[in-house]
Amino acid sequence: MVAFPDNIAPRRAIAVRVRSVLWVALLACCVLSLTTGATGVTLWDALVAAVTPAELPLAAKVVLWDIRLPRMLMAIVVGAALAVSGAVMQGLFRNPLADPGIVGVSAGAGTGAVIAIVLGSALPFGLASALGPWLVPLAAALGAWGTIMVLYAIATRRGVTTIATLLLAGIAISALAGALSGVLIYAADDTQLRDLTFWGLGSLAGATWTKLMAAAPLMIAGLLCARPLARGLNGLALGEAAAYHIGLPVQRLKRLAILSTAAATGAAVAVSGGIGFVGIVVPHLLRLISGPDHEELLPNAALLGASLLLLADLISRVIVAPAELPIGIITATLGGPFFLWLLLRGRALMGG
Amino acid sequence: MRWLALIALLPTTLVAEETPRVLSLGGAVTEIVYALGAGDLLVGRDQTSTHPAQAEALPDVGYVRRLAPEGILSVDPTLILAESGAGPAETVDLMTGAGVPWVTVPSGYDAAAIPAKVHVIADALGLEDQGDALADRIETQLAAAQADAANHDVSVMFVMSLQGGRVMAAGRETAADGIITLAGAQNAITAFDGYKQLTDEAVLTAAPDVILMMARAGEHAINDAAIQSHPALGATPAAQNGAIIRMDGVYLLGFGPRTPDAIRDLSRQLAHSVKEAG
Amino acid sequence: MLIARNIHVTLGSKEILHGVSASFAPAQLSVIVGPNGSGKTTLLRALTAETAFDGQITLNGHDITQTPAWKLASMRAVLPQSTVLAFPFTVAEVVRLGQMGGIGAGGPDRTFDALHRVGLQGYASRFYSDLSGGEQQRVQLARVLLQVWQPISTNGAPRWLILDEPVSSLDIGHQLLVMQIARDFADQGGGVVAVMHDLNLSAMFADHMILMRNGQITAQGLVREVLVDDHLSHAYGCPLRVGVAPPDQSTFILPQMAGARA
Repeated sequence: MVAFPDNIAPRRAIAVRVRSVLWVALLACCVLSLTTGATGVTLWDALVAAVTPAELPLAAKVVLWDIRLPRMLMAIVVGAALAVSGAVMQGLFRNPLADPGIVGVSAGAGTGAVIAIVLGSALPFGLASALGPWLVPLAAALGAWGTIMVLYAIATRRGVTTIATLLLAGIAISALAGALSGVLIYAADDTQLRDLTFWGLGSLAGATWTKLMAAAPLMIAGLLCARPLARGLNGLALGEAAAYHIGLPVQRLKRLAILSTAAATGAAVAVSGGIGFVGIVVPHLLRLISGPDHEELLPNAALLGASLLLLADLISRVIVAPAELPIGIITATLGGPFFLWLLLRGRALMGG
Repeated sequence: MRWLALIALLPTTLVAEETPRVLSLGGAVTEIVYALGAGDLLVGRDQTSTHPAQAEALPDVGYVRRLAPEGILSVDPTLILAESGAGPAETVDLMTGAGVPWVTVPSGYDAAAIPAKVHVIADALGLEDQGDALADRIETQLAAAQADAANHDVSVMFVMSLQGGRVMAAGRETAADGIITLAGAQNAITAFDGYKQLTDEAVLTAAPDVILMMARAGEHAINDAAIQSHPALGATPAAQNGAIIRMDGVYLLGFGPRTPDAIRDLSRQLAHSVKEAG
Repeated sequence: MLIARNIHVTLGSKEILHGVSASFAPAQLSVIVGPNGSGKTTLLRALTAETAFDGQITLNGHDITQTPAWKLASMRAVLPQSTVLAFPFTVAEVVRLGQMGGIGAGGPDRTFDALHRVGLQGYASRFYSDLSGGEQQRVQLARVLLQVWQPISTNGAPRWLILDEPVSSLDIGHQLLVMQIARDFADQGGGVVAVMHDLNLSAMFADHMILMRNGQITAQGLVREVLVDDHLSHAYGCPLRVGVAPPDQSTFILPQMAGARA
């Protein structure tokens, strides 16, 4: 046959190169995150303490191992979970603007979390104490799952999602979820209220080993579920019918995608509140660089999402030190304009 | 040996030779530390600690309910004095883990609450004698201020905010309720605890003689015109008679050393606005 | 064989197909024609299990509702009327999707062969969304061809191409190209079922024809048996003549004469 220049190899090759760069970036962000903070403790101190008889002061130990390390790990899993959820949702809805935050899935997860915080003690059979720290992440994941199911039922006809319906449904669901949360917040007592306000602003400041252990397994499960979806999401880009015709188990694919997004988004929202725009910015940037092939996109999104959130968290920690800015403000400040740019660009392309 | 055991039992009291580095969280807590003459020991404060003026020079670790653990450790405190409600719980736990004692100063919205705070803080600082003296002085001042305040027989509504035209008012078990009572007046809202949004009808039913607010600058400021033009607030006796009082928030609601003055101030303004109306 | 027995399809509360029975043979190019709304596309969707139906459809002896997607995909490929992609895939990436399902996976990469076949060599690295409607249609055809690259499987069973208006957005040259591809597929032993609007092209390439009207088959059989004045006039609701040239000097162009010397 005629020899043609193979064009997929370049995009694949770019994606692979991007992946190595992202690994290095993630590693650098981790070191930076462990080393930087309001106190002067650095990783170097710990290394020195490890090889010399000099003991690290207790406060420095706490800063490194109980504050910065769980927070760093939390930023990594939350960032990866949000970015991958965004990419999976966009693939599922065949719509580059689908983002857990924008279409109301985060709001649904938030309502789940609020319900758990306020009404958790009213659960029968000692369920609340049995679940312990897992209660809130699980409730948030359930909330996210319910929201995606409703969204899918409303916004998708014959496997095609119109952007207008999706965004409008997102607004309606966010409003509904907000109203429900509002009712519960009204009924909340003072301690619960404090939990709620702390959490609603979006922050990784509360990252402790306990929270990490409670939420990370759900997020990691969501991420692992997403991995085998990659090929299917590529096929789904053709539409549900065509995906079925090329041999994909479309219904199972959709269910798995929804479960994966719900678990990852839900748990992420439960521990970090409303951190927006990671899910839309990260996959979009990567598609611009190395194409929409989900087999490359999903792992790269996990890496870039983790790095971005580490950086945003770093900014939130040092910009007004010793106080802290909620990280949601940082990601919204960076992501909001990007989203607007996307919309404008899309409008130019669609001529509408 | 017994001496050692005693030290172990009192982790929050100080071993004499080392000067403690104190982080104060809460406006009233900071004021009490200064009133005890221990202002030099402070190495940090929260956002609401703005009085006395020299407190503002201290590093600010942020909002008292959203404290970042590393931010706190960065001022390297050896003792943390925090008003109740400071947190989140994770941060408190981490401080304990880092070996920094966290002393919670009890809250309370009556005359007895302030001496109680003083004692807790003085004990933590090892300044028991100064604490006794300050508590006695404040008790005397409080008694005198209350005696002067007498009974105004007016109902006062404390309006926290007027967001989107919705009135957020103070119910029972609030600092506002406490100071209104101490100043010899009645809280117009007794149907609930804490701060909640009122319907317009509830505002009309409460029919306060006086509206009390925090003096604020900027966009949160609520001017008289906004109150008078509000459909429900505008129809209350308070708005009709122009009986609207504004006072500094920490001064009015802090329940600290300045509270006796705040009681006198509020009482005087209540008397004035009622006389004006009558 | 692709056999449909007594197919009823109801969309909403309206029955679209009222008991359609038809059979399609391998090594033949079968076309389904009929006026708008006659149920052609609905029948095609039933034949591909894309829509729910009452009745029974078997493909190479397998009941299609009981057969998993991957197995169906190894026996037949389906070309939709048009496909919009949400993401900026390149032409080669789209075509390669045809190879992911089953039979092609792991085999040699035939992406460029498939593109060459539909006359789109050199388009591999272009963005799908930048192409014209006709070019996009041919990219999809290349993808579909890749899925059933060998018209007869290794165990001797025929493979099937199911095409929904494959030439609707093409110019006459490419219409001929695409119909020839379908013809070749049938000539090599595969089965082709196509919904068509163009009666001339159908007459030119097809072996077997099904004429539909109001959700029922009014005529089926060899092309020359179906394409007669009475059947057509009845189905399309207007008087039509077959094989009669206009009497005066009016201009007309027939695909049958393409390539013939003037």
